[in-house]
Amino acid sequence: MATVKPVGRGVVRVQTDNDGRWETVYVAGTPEDRWLFWRGRTFRVGGQTRPSTTASRTAAARGPQVLSAPMPATIVKVLARTGMHARKGDTLVVAEAMKMELPIRALADGIVTAVSCREGELVEGGQTLVTLE
Amino acid sequence: MIKRLLIANRGEIAIRVARACRETGIESVAVYSDADADAAHVDAADRSVHIGAAAAIESYLSIPKILQAIDQTQADAVHPGYGFLSENARFAAACEQAGVTFVGPPSRVIAAMGSKINARRMIQDAGIPIVPGETPADQSDSGILAALTRVGFPALVKASAGGGGKGMRTVGADDDAQETIQAARREAAAAFGDGTLYVERLVRHARHVEVQIIADDHDGCLHLFERDCSTQRRHQKVIEESPSPVVSPALRARMTDAAVRAARASGYRNAGTIEFLVDPASGEFFFLEMNTRLQVEHPVTEEVTGLDLVRAQLVVASGGALPWTQDDVSQRGHAIEARIYAEDPGAGFLPQAGAILLYREPRMPGVRIDSGIREGDVVPVHYDPMLAKVIASAATRDQAIERLQTALREYPILGIRTNVAFLLAILEHAQFRAGDVDTAFLDREGASLAECAGVNDEVPPFVREIAESPHATTGAADRHSRPAQPDPWHTLSRWRL
Repeated sequence: MATVKPVGRGVVRVQTDNDGRWETVYVAGTPEDRWLFWRGRTFRVGGQTRPSTTASRTAAARGPQVLSAPMPATIVKVLARTGMHARKGDTLVVAEAMKMELPIRALADGIVTAVSCREGELVEGGQTLVTLE
Repeated sequence: MIKRLLIANRGEIAIRVARACRETGIESVAVYSDADADAAHVDAADRSVHIGAAAAIESYLSIPKILQAIDQTQADAVHPGYGFLSENARFAAACEQAGVTFVGPPSRVIAAMGSKINARRMIQDAGIPIVPGETPADQSDSGILAALTRVGFPALVKASAGGGGKGMRTVGADDDAQETIQAARREAAAAFGDGTLYVERLVRHARHVEVQIIADDHDGCLHLFERDCSTQRRHQKVIEESPSPVVSPALRARMTDAAVRAARASGYRNAGTIEFLVDPASGEFFFLEMNTRLQVEHPVTEEVTGLDLVRAQLVVASGGALPWTQDDVSQRGHAIEARIYAEDPGAGFLPQAGAILLYREPRMPGVRIDSGIREGDVVPVHYDPMLAKVIASAATRDQAIERLQTALREYPILGIRTNVAFLLAILEHAQFRAGDVDTAFLDREGASLAECAGVNDEVPPFVREIAESPHATTGAADRHSRPAQPDPWHTLSRWRL
């Protein structure tokens, strides 16, 4: 348990019961998707986890791989072709967002079954780009 | 004298320039794309003009659109900031032709220094050492590869047209050079509208030390000492400081002298930066490139010299003489800057876009914040992910670092992920504290620093309790509980009196 004292919009002081020290925590978002900040560290609780490639890496050992856009981006190059054998780590699509190139790489060896994006296309975060089996 | 100045940029630098205009009694004009209609920089200026679609190529990078905005607002001067058109000689020339004061060097100097071949020849003639490299006449993949082989591996491929790490790639002897060359070319074309590539030998364990210079039309040409920008991630500067922890007074004298000679040799006017690679072991330094514009990290120099660089730029651009001599300028104490980027260190530094739900800037002695965002703003996907710069100054390097750490720990930015925890991990790193980092430090240590930053850590129990408490008052909650009859001062849309 802890004692909580609101000190402003989105700011609380918290006293943990262990040693009586007060900490300042900043809070934003909705109850379903909270953002918090404490001493230079940011936390997200209840919201979506990172849309990173690391999240899907574990599921990619066997079975179909769905490679999706990690964020809204422009497709600058499509290297994948349907039927192509891809090796783990091969770059299949190059997207660009915020002036940086984001290579979309195969998570495991596989055969490309569908290419769902075109060069020059603006894609949403989470949109499927390439499917492999 | 300048009466009305158009700022051909966005974000924190546009705001920085608008403030300098206000101080000197110049009217400022902001420009904005579709994505930036509600951006902070628009509200920082006295007037604003819409210039086009969100994509930079159709707005901030479009010479016709900017010229049209200058014409439309009858601005008599333009400040290009950094990035975008700031090192575009055609843009500077178009301004000169239109009789508009370009706050920067003459277009012929931008063209001369923008061509890396020319710049290096000029620098060599001035007796300043350079790193082996070239812009191959044959720009095909095989032409670039041949040039890489000539300068020797490991080598760098980079955009001939600009800096900022955009389009820059390292190629080792065993790498797939072709893929790297193509990626660099695409990124260069996307960032600068010019895919011409330059190749150069990579100097290992080098430090990036640059000298700020400023020159006027009256034969005044001064240096404002050095900045050390060795802490870079993939050639993108992350932390900058002055003085450099590795530059001795003797080396400083040689480097600043070389920088002034380089500026004079090029016929320079206005603020510019001469970048050097320094081998701290041998005390050798090599000319890297000249940036013919104001730098992102200019506040570091402002804090140690006590001078206002943007104000000086405006004076010099108006034809005035620099108000100082070299003897008036001194380097006092230590200043250090950290760049806050909208990127996720826990997911490969993926750039982040989205709404800022809560945003509070720290206020404390010796800390300066140059930022381009506000609470409630949306960070668009179209532009560079730098959100703000935190500059701390103090009597010593250790004290300046401690101030910077304190400020970063009290700088909440919620709604998108940022590199704040990563910056703190760098500042705590023993090698950084010892002043002993080279330009490859972050690329070597980045992954473990991201781990140290706790980006994948458990949420502390008391923080989780607050997150799950139904009583938590949040930055965003107020918007949802707005009364049925809204107070017009609290509505978010425009209205007329």
